[in-house]
Amino acid sequence: MKITRRTAIQTSLAASAMLAAPSIVRGQSRPSAARTIRAVMHGDIPTYDPIWTTANMAGYHGGMVYDTLFGIDGNQQPQPQMVGRHGVSDDKLTYTFELRDGLKWHDGSAVTTADIVPSLKRWAARDGGGQHLMERVKDLSAKDEKTFSITLREPYGLVLDVLAKTNMPMCFMMRKKEAETDPMQKIDQVVGSGPFTLNLDETKPGTQYVYDRNPNYVPRAEAASGIAGGKVAKVDRVIMINMPDAQTAVAALQAGEIDFYEVPPTDLLPQLESDRNIKIEVLNGLGNVGQVRLNYLHPPFDNIKARQAMLYIVKQSDVLKATFGDSKYVKQVSSYFGMGTPMENDANIDWFKGGQNLAKARELFKEAGYDGRPIVIMQATNIAVMSNTSLVIAQAMRQAGLNVQVEAMDWSNVVQRRSSKAPPNQGGWNIFITWSGGAAIGNPILLSAHAATGDKAWFGWPSDAKHEDLRNKWALAPTLDARKTVARELQENAWNFVPQLYYGQWVQPAAMRRNLRGVIPVAEIVPWWNAEKV
Amino acid sequence: MTAFSQIRGRRAGLPARLAEFGRRSPTIVIGAAILIFMACVAILAPLLAGDPTFINPVDRLQPPSGTYYFGTDHLGRDIFARCVYGARVSLIVGLSVAALAVAGGLAIGLAAGYLRSVDNLVMRLMDGLMAIPAILLAIALVSLNQGGVVIVIVAITIPEIPRVVRLVRSVVLTTREQPYIEAAISGGSRKLKIILRHILPSTIPPLIVQATYVAASAILIEAGLSFLGAGVPPETPTWGNIVASSRLLLARAPWTIFFPGACLALVVLAINLLGDGLRDHLDPRLARRM
Amino acid sequence: MTAYIIRRLLMTIPVMGLVAVFVFLLLHLAPGDPAAIMAGDNASPENIMEIRRKLGLDEPLWRQLLVWLASLASGDLGRSMFWGDPVTTLIAQRAEPTISLAVTTIVFAVTVAVCLGVIAAANVGRAVDRFVMGLAVAGFSVPVFVVGYLLIFLFSIELRWLPVQGYTPLADGILAWLHNLILPTLALGLAYVALIARITRTTMLDVLAEDYIRTANAKGVARAPMLLRHALKNAAVPIVTVIGIGVALLIGGVVITETVFNIPGIGRLVVDAIARRDYPIIQGVIMIFSGIYVLVNLLVDLSYTFLDPRIRY
Repeated sequence: MKITRRTAIQTSLAASAMLAAPSIVRGQSRPSAARTIRAVMHGDIPTYDPIWTTANMAGYHGGMVYDTLFGIDGNQQPQPQMVGRHGVSDDKLTYTFELRDGLKWHDGSAVTTADIVPSLKRWAARDGGGQHLMERVKDLSAKDEKTFSITLREPYGLVLDVLAKTNMPMCFMMRKKEAETDPMQKIDQVVGSGPFTLNLDETKPGTQYVYDRNPNYVPRAEAASGIAGGKVAKVDRVIMINMPDAQTAVAALQAGEIDFYEVPPTDLLPQLESDRNIKIEVLNGLGNVGQVRLNYLHPPFDNIKARQAMLYIVKQSDVLKATFGDSKYVKQVSSYFGMGTPMENDANIDWFKGGQNLAKARELFKEAGYDGRPIVIMQATNIAVMSNTSLVIAQAMRQAGLNVQVEAMDWSNVVQRRSSKAPPNQGGWNIFITWSGGAAIGNPILLSAHAATGDKAWFGWPSDAKHEDLRNKWALAPTLDARKTVARELQENAWNFVPQLYYGQWVQPAAMRRNLRGVIPVAEIVPWWNAEKV
Repeated sequence: MTAFSQIRGRRAGLPARLAEFGRRSPTIVIGAAILIFMACVAILAPLLAGDPTFINPVDRLQPPSGTYYFGTDHLGRDIFARCVYGARVSLIVGLSVAALAVAGGLAIGLAAGYLRSVDNLVMRLMDGLMAIPAILLAIALVSLNQGGVVIVIVAITIPEIPRVVRLVRSVVLTTREQPYIEAAISGGSRKLKIILRHILPSTIPPLIVQATYVAASAILIEAGLSFLGAGVPPETPTWGNIVASSRLLLARAPWTIFFPGACLALVVLAINLLGDGLRDHLDPRLARRM
Repeated sequence: MTAYIIRRLLMTIPVMGLVAVFVFLLLHLAPGDPAAIMAGDNASPENIMEIRRKLGLDEPLWRQLLVWLASLASGDLGRSMFWGDPVTTLIAQRAEPTISLAVTTIVFAVTVAVCLGVIAAANVGRAVDRFVMGLAVAGFSVPVFVVGYLLIFLFSIELRWLPVQGYTPLADGILAWLHNLILPTLALGLAYVALIARITRTTMLDVLAEDYIRTANAKGVARAPMLLRHALKNAAVPIVTVIGIGVALLIGGVVITETVFNIPGIGRLVVDAIARRDYPIIQGVIMIFSGIYVLVNLLVDLSYTFLDPRIRY
């Protein structure tokens, strides 16, 4: 029974791989090196279902294999991708979309609205932004094979933005068969309609993922920009390699064994900058914003004064220096929405202007009634930024007279333990360190860490009714300027009740061989269409 | 000859006797001297160096200077202070693992090698324990208990025990067949007496070599565990985790690896010299030959 | 003898059973949540709970253990929680690089080490002996990954003689295969050269001190053939023991070496799986490694009777 099922799945996976890559028969012919890009990405692909997980690497995989209805362009504006003509009714309640011509799944069948509607539903079940949208959707249905519509209960300014976004999970379109999978289950076949296909014969999970050009893909006519425009695959094969050791990856890049390294550590950049064959490019201009999450459920951070005190303790210049040295790629963050995002503003940032102020922090902790109990910081020792940041913050807290306990563990332990609501001395925690993409930080709806819905919120469980009202108000605001106004109010309030704080913002420059051209700068994912070796 | 040197030894003062010992076993003296020096450094750490955990990002990756004798690491911590305090943990890890592994391994190995009734059972248990790759076992044990020196010692010791057992047993198997053991058995000696009087001594020389290896490798395994992110927590300096946490800086700031690496190599060297020296000194047959 | 071999083979079954239970408990009692890793950083707590349920991770531990043991007994190592591929497939995909590295390392280490050990023993106390033993000490005083990085810097970055990383399948030609394996073999083999050379020397000295060697010496038997024929054969028992132990050490070393040189082997598979808590892979790899280890040591025990007729079973 068990064996039968396993065999069946193996067979079907193999069959889909054969269909997906008819030109590559069992890996017998390999494209030449000049038409193959070997890229070391920041991590491993945890699973092939980019809807089911929010892990970025799954999104990288999804971006190769799947296509999206809309895509954010280089100016952060949503543009049609799989959609051809589209329109919205005068009352702003009904959106109508028509699929463009030439869309085909990798198995050769045509993409129809019978695939699109369940894909949208499955994605919306898993995505925070999708859920926010769906709460306002009265009807989502197909009109004919190529036309479908979304009808809203109330006007919602972000419909196209949500469909086009690049943060995880992206709104990828799948075949009806996969789209109807329980959103809590992973899909078991990788069949998309994107510019590349996954070559399962050459792929070795955990080490390399091989993507072959999809010869049947019909790109849009426009030039590629962001994840919008024509997705023209200019090489025959892209291999995403998982290489956890940075030193090895840098050496491999210098030796020309790989073409691209997404995350060279700052300390190794001088070594790469001095190499004539290597160039350094920033692909994600907004970079990442580091978050310090505080646990609202237990003392001392159940008290607003203690949370405010943390703003005076964390010295961003120290934290950033610890990991990034004298890097030109870092910034200190004063805005709740990160620096350089459309929502960045300067409301209520006196704490930032004054810089670190341990005396003030000490006083605030006293007002909070801090009794000297140990404050538990979870230190993820296998991730450099998190490990270093935990130690720097712990030292500053100790200097402010706090009793800090740094508990060393690997990231797996952190993600398990952070879900514990128990008191810190019974398996819970007070502080952990993480980061999110700048684009996500800049959007109060898309990032689940922005929610302050108490028990239902992201780990740390901040709770603030006013914050929630303002988030809704922001989503419904009709124009960009109106959103900016609400964003100021949100920030004014956020820096009072402190749902989380930031330890800095950094962009991660990518290093690549000089002959690699056309890697498109996008936030959150690295797309491989348009890239070529010259 | 022997009597003469004893008489001379009794008459001479302590320094002269030490000098004589040093002339005959230079490796023991050198090895012991280095280890005693390192032990003093470990004990007197607070007098010798500042706070090894103090972070000062402004002074990160400073080369060695009058302020920072060994330079600073990526967090601006003083590597000299970290090396000095690191001596504590590294020595404790090395010595405890060696002592625990030899004690445990010797007892089990003697029993297994001599008592046929338990041999198979014990050896299969040891096979099972040993069959689990040590480093994987250690990683699992360390993450189970979230780091800490004690758990690292336990995690390194457990897989070392069967190695000692096998070595002891193989010596016992060879020794057991020697004519003098057969003579003792036929002479009616009790098993325990045979083990203690006749077999135990023959296990000592190889065990000393093995113990030095265990101590040295324990220090190195700790470094390997740190490399894989499962060692002593990074706040606590050990030579192993100083090297491991600086591994990206090999080209950029070689002092971050050189000094702790040199301490590591020096102590391992000293342990081995001591072991070799003791072996030559303790093994009467070899001494006779020389 | 045959009966002994059969008995030993039968005894591996309870040994492997012990290993299985031990490993399962060790992993499942350890903290870390594969569901949370799979779901991604932005996932909600409810999503993660739901995934735990789907994976069966919320079932009582004893039931998960029984399910696993039952499938193990039928030769099924389960499937990766992350990619869904069968663990046996994943291990088979990664086996060649790991076996290659192990074989080249053992061949390199044993050849070099036994030569060095014999040379040192034959010249005990002289400069050659001191030099060889000095090298041996240096060999296992430096962590494998530091040796690895030094080799990469010297031979790959500066001299550009050898590739930095990766693995070329044997099918692509034996030279290409060796080309990629030289540095990892050197890095990994150094410690075993040191270990085996030391033990070889020590046991050789013991044997050289035996009366029959002294007799042979006194009779004027030529020195080199005597060393090889008499001494090495009698010193073989402890040396083989150490080589048997070395296989276990090798497995540990492979884990680190594969990370340094980015060799897509079983070591990398399991290290990544530990970080993610992909239990079926960790359990499967440990079972396979354990099985190999048990078999190698059976061979080592059998070789005792061959090498030293005085030992019998």
